[in-house]
Amino acid sequence: MISLESYLVVAAALFSLGLYGILTRKNAVNVLMSIELIFNSANINLIAFSRYVTGDTEGQVFALFVIVIAACEAAVALAIIMSLYRILKGVELTDASALKG
Amino acid sequence: MEAIAPKIIFWVFAGLMLGSAFVVVHGRHLVRSAFALLATFFSVAGFYAMLGADFLAGVQLLVYVGGILTLILFGVMLTNRIYNLELETATFQVVPGALVALTVFGCLVAIIYNTPWSKAALVEEGPTTPAIGRLLMTEYVLPFEVASVLLLVALLGAAMLVRRRTDL
Amino acid sequence: MERIDTLSSLEFFRPEIVLVLSLMWVLIWDLILKNRPRERRAVLVGSTLLGLVIALGFAFAGTDAPSMGLFSNMVALDGFGNVLRILFIVTAIFVLLFTLHSNELKSVHHGELLVLLLTATVALIWMANSINLLMIYLALETVSVASYVMVGYLKSDRLSNEASLKYILFGAVSTGTMLFGLSLLFGLTGSLDLYGIRSALASQEVVASSGPALMVVIVLVLAGIGFKMATVPFHFWCPDVYTGAPTPVTAFLSVGPKVAGFAVLVRFFYGGLSEPIGSANWAMVGSVDWQTILMVVSVLTMTLGNVAALTQTNVKRLLAYSSIAHAGYIMMGAAVLSGEGIQAMIAYMIVYLFMNLGAFLVVIVVHNEVGSFDVKDYAGIWRRAPMLTVVMGVFLFSLMGIPPFAGFLAKWYIFAAVIKAGLGWFAVVGVANSAIGAYYYLKILRTMFIDGDDTPEPTKPMPLQPVYAGLLFVLVVPNIIGLLLWGYLDQVAEYSKRLLDVVL
Repeated sequence: MISLESYLVVAAALFSLGLYGILTRKNAVNVLMSIELIFNSANINLIAFSRYVTGDTEGQVFALFVIVIAACEAAVALAIIMSLYRILKGVELTDASALKG
Repeated sequence: MEAIAPKIIFWVFAGLMLGSAFVVVHGRHLVRSAFALLATFFSVAGFYAMLGADFLAGVQLLVYVGGILTLILFGVMLTNRIYNLELETATFQVVPGALVALTVFGCLVAIIYNTPWSKAALVEEGPTTPAIGRLLMTEYVLPFEVASVLLLVALLGAAMLVRRRTDL
Repeated sequence: MERIDTLSSLEFFRPEIVLVLSLMWVLIWDLILKNRPRERRAVLVGSTLLGLVIALGFAFAGTDAPSMGLFSNMVALDGFGNVLRILFIVTAIFVLLFTLHSNELKSVHHGELLVLLLTATVALIWMANSINLLMIYLALETVSVASYVMVGYLKSDRLSNEASLKYILFGAVSTGTMLFGLSLLFGLTGSLDLYGIRSALASQEVVASSGPALMVVIVLVLAGIGFKMATVPFHFWCPDVYTGAPTPVTAFLSVGPKVAGFAVLVRFFYGGLSEPIGSANWAMVGSVDWQTILMVVSVLTMTLGNVAALTQTNVKRLLAYSSIAHAGYIMMGAAVLSGEGIQAMIAYMIVYLFMNLGAFLVVIVVHNEVGSFDVKDYAGIWRRAPMLTVVMGVFLFSLMGIPPFAGFLAKWYIFAAVIKAGLGWFAVVGVANSAIGAYYYLKILRTMFIDGDDTPEPTKPMPLQPVYAGLLFVLVVPNIIGLLLWGYLDQVAEYSKRLLDVVL
């Protein structure tokens, strides 16, 4: 039988990797992918707790909604990236640097 | 022999998940990271299946792999000079970033092992779809409806941002 | 505390239902009238306004309902939520009217903006009323997604796009982190319902052993809520996003999501992590002293906001830091764990709506004429538009907290609540910060009075749209007669401290 802690540790590792990606990556799509890792790690937590701590499916319902939310955010994020790309494509500058800080 | 098989499967999925996640956050080629993300999503679905969440494993594959990842890949392919799209915010160098991540991981592991999680009696295995469906239609109706508003606004917003004609 | 099921809850949900129906109506008519722009604009704006007004009417009518948990304890119906519901709808009405003549939004089609505004408003109401972790998270994300798109609405403007990219990436990181914290909280307590969490945390076995885990949960959750409130250290997005977004959207962001963030803060900490003692006081539950954390965050936020605003040359950026500072003041009211604290917060947020929206409207009017957001381009406006300068002066004095304007009374309310809770030093920090804050508000005002060297037409009168003139009047009057309305505001605040579990 796999212990609850094993699942939680793997989720924590995934969270930390996502955090590392967010801190060190400069490309917007890479940051988005790291954010998806964080969402997945939280979902693993939720489903593991749902099985081991409460024994019912409440946590799974939460995880279901998280998947829906993540999909919406990814769609809007990519739309924004596309829109920004279209503007920058014709310009010399290559960085989104007009707003500093 | 019986006890070993679940452990092996667990470690295979965990290894695949963390290895591909490492490629996602550290790999230098964007397309390679995107495909590594695919492997991560698959192994997460495997975890869900091991935890008895059969419906969610299916949804994970459908939505994350079939939807989100496809979207990311399209985005990457359509904006093929996207390596130019960098944010000029303060980002860490690799070593400090790794230190921060490792510290966070260490704290979390310490907390995981030192908290006495209350373990309920394990419910019997079975399809979770009826239970989830029942919850969605009784207790969780309002979140269900709010989620549909969210989907509407995400659809509207993404379509508006991406379409070409600005006078519509 | 009653909880009722879905069908019986619907009758208390009229404002939200009206708002959702309005957004669908506007969306459909936007498509139907695709080829008739003039009628379309009138129909869409008219429908949005009508929907908001009807919802406002229902919200006022619903204030005498007893406190209960709706939809199987997903959202609450109580005094606190009712007041905030009215506040959000009023904000939306003002912002809708702001968009009518704004030069920034002249060249883009407004249809989707109206739908986004309506969605954001109804989601803000849900966010402020949620008492279930899932509902909090879902409503928060709906507000966020609508805001991300609104900020990036000017598709051909580079600043708008950059602002929206920064906003969504920062926002997704902070809400993802918050979600991880919520998942840990679920694991600790086995419940997604805030009041279930409270009883689990109050039981002895859990308290003794879960200190570090609870601390992590609080830090992670504050990451998400702090992002919405723009408090330190999650305020980094604020100046850039406020500057890049179209100004009516900035005005909306400076009030709506910020107030809703505070509502979530109060509901989460007072509902989930404290238990009530006496009739309107709370004591912390669990072994983490989060009250101190809130106090520290408040001090850091107001200080950083005020200090950073001193050197700003862009008026929108300056107002962004000013709103960060005000978030610090509001948080003082949250950190005292008393009914007076909640009353002070609500009173401050109501006054803040009128002073902040007013200041942003003046920024919109000046931009329409002068075309710039730099403070130095505000030089000599006194000669071109004396009434506008006076009105801006009222808003700025109110933001500073100078008597006899409403802003002073709001600050007084907060400091009084803090002193009453025995935290005198905290109030002193607040007063000191207000003094620092005076400098940059006065700088704007002084620039408006002194003529610039190269102002193109120093005496040409500045045109003012009648709608804007009316709005300025409506926004400035409460600031001036704040003292007279004080009794009424006091009543409203008293009504609003009724959180779901408060039995008076």
